Amino acid sequence: MAIAQAMCTSFKTELLTGTHNFATNGNAFKLALYAEGGGGKSSTTATLGATTTAYTTTGEVANSGSYTAGGGALTKVAPTSSGTTAFTDFADLSFTTATITAMGALIYNDTNGDKAVAVLDFSSNKTSTSGTFTVQFPTADASNAIIRIA
Amino acid sequence: MFNVGISQAGKVNVMTSDKGGLTNEQIADLAVDKIVSISDEAPAHIRQQANQFREHLKNVMYHYLLLARSEERGTIIQALLSGGQKETAELIRRL
Repeated sequence: MAIAQAMCTSFKTELLTGTHNFATNGNAFKLALYAEGGGGKSSTTATLGATTTAYTTTGEVANSGSYTAGGGALTKVAPTSSGTTAFTDFADLSFTTATITAMGALIYNDTNGDKAVAVLDFSSNKTSTSGTFTVQFPTADASNAIIRIA
Repeated sequence: MFNVGISQAGKVNVMTSDKGGLTNEQIADLAVDKIVSISDEAPAHIRQQANQFREHLKNVMYHYLLLARSEERGTIIQALLSGGQKETAELIRRL
């Protein structure tokens, strides 16, 4: 599969070297959308997964509506914990008046060299036509949160 | 030695629309998904109750979203009429 859900391996290493700061006054994170096969810029196909180390324009969806190259800025929710699991969350992100077909997304650190955090696989193509494309993050708890470390 | 048992990326939900923004029903779904989370491992009767609560909550959300949008349009229409934009106000009233 060209886009596979994963917490990027490089991100795990970078956590141990203090590269990423998810505090509300910490680093800036962004979410970029990717197409698999047709739908991407220049008919390129995204290949994203655990081995992805940084944001790439290959396979990124074309600019449309409020979506521009690099994707949208994520609003962070301060990391917390429940039981033995630590987790963090982001506010939902919407691109409006946009014509987009995307199969997945990449969360990356816009402050520190566009380093990859996680690859999100939408399982199937999601399409908006002159409409809204909303990415809703899961419930922020120890079982579902977008980024969890147990 | 420290062991990190699980480090995972959660599953996101994607909602899209054509020729306009999300519908009231879609927004109600997004809101309820955020509020109510039902574990697959919960006992059947708990899941059933949670699902009923979820449906009830969705209906309430839907009603008030409808009302919020309608009331906002009313405010916009009034502002346009006050500014002499009668035709634009009429367009919005028909939404």
